[in-house]
Amino acid sequence: MIEAINEQLLRAIGVGVALVDIKSGALRFSNDTFTEWFGQPADPSNPIELGSLDLRAALDRIGSGERHTDEVTFKIGRRTMTVAIEFNNALEEEDLAVLVCQNISRIKELESMIDSYAMMVERNTHEIRREKEQVEKLLLNMMPRTAYEEYKSFGAVEPRLFEGVSVMSVDFEGFADMLGANAPSVVVSELNDIFTAFDRIGEQFGCERIRTMGDTYFAITGVPDPVRDHAGAMAGAATRFLKYIERRNESHQLSWRVRIGLASGPVIGSVVGVQKYVYDVFGPAVSKASNMRIEADPMSIKTDASISDLLDGGADLASTGEA
Amino acid sequence: MTQSIYEKYGGFGTVSRIVMRLYDRVLDDDDIGPFFDDIDMPRLIDHQTKFVASLMGGPASFTDAHLIGAHRDLDINDLHFDRLVALVGETLEEFNVEDDDNKAVRDAIEARRSVLVKAPAA
Repeated sequence: MIEAINEQLLRAIGVGVALVDIKSGALRFSNDTFTEWFGQPADPSNPIELGSLDLRAALDRIGSGERHTDEVTFKIGRRTMTVAIEFNNALEEEDLAVLVCQNISRIKELESMIDSYAMMVERNTHEIRREKEQVEKLLLNMMPRTAYEEYKSFGAVEPRLFEGVSVMSVDFEGFADMLGANAPSVVVSELNDIFTAFDRIGEQFGCERIRTMGDTYFAITGVPDPVRDHAGAMAGAATRFLKYIERRNESHQLSWRVRIGLASGPVIGSVVGVQKYVYDVFGPAVSKASNMRIEADPMSIKTDASISDLLDGGADLASTGEA
Repeated sequence: MTQSIYEKYGGFGTVSRIVMRLYDRVLDDDDIGPFFDDIDMPRLIDHQTKFVASLMGGPASFTDAHLIGAHRDLDINDLHFDRLVALVGETLEEFNVEDDDNKAVRDAIEARRSVLVKAPAA
């Protein structure tokens, strides 16, 4: 009676149970769940087949006293099933292996989902990092790194006084006429080339572009990091700008007539604006440089005493005020 | 920034359950189940995880090109598509997703109908 109840129970549980002859591999008993998963061999004396699992190897292992667990994946209908099988030699005297089979399909499905999710999150993290780098690059174009770091940490940039600064203001005589006489897109494209070249030249002298407005290019040395010979560096950059334009004019149809004004003095640097912010500098040196530029003859550099006094006596710029 | 449906219902914790339930429903369905007869489980799970996460505004972007690639060679008609929309709706309902949100998700699927349903042969 009890045996009958036990057998009923064994048949009903969601775990697949089977008894297999260790020597022959033949199935001696299986509950309904096991049969549902693996079927019944046509010839009961033949070894059972458990998907791709190597039954003989498993039975040999437990025959020598080891425990053995394995996984087998197969399809029932359109559903992929993964079953974990534990081989036991519990009934040693009878040379029978007990196979306990658990359906771990859901665990495998969840593992797949976690893999999928992890990949999504990784890709997103990568994209966010890339976007952040682009925003950072953009902001670093708009303000010095120190100002950017301050902005990132505090959401604002305190105005800061910079002593020992030289300022350069550049524009092109007759720019409006050039626009009128030529295709504006050509003129603007060339202007873009020139400003890009100025940026590159300036970089070699520690001369940083602060802004451009129309054809006016405005740069500075000594902000945010001090430059020991800021005036000399600025004079060097200005001279190279001039030479660059001279050389460029020789090989291009459009002739650009550059005017450069230089001045030195302390400036205040700060981010201006909330929604649309821009890093800018303020101070007498800024307006002086602009005035010098306006007074400069085309294809020349004009300085005032504030910078020429700082330059070595021998420098052309200092001796004449114009080069 | 407004909260996405994905965030509102508990992020991946809830979405994972919705995906599992939808996976069961889709496979058991007589109309659209047969499309998955020969599809590997990991591939289908991967697809559905991204699909549901994307519909709910989660961390997945499912482009039309991706959808077209995944459903190439499948003869999907309007009835199949209706069935999928219905299954998604029922699954979300089971997880107590509010009607408005449920509709928003179904509308998002609906927007892809023309991408997935093959035009009837002339």
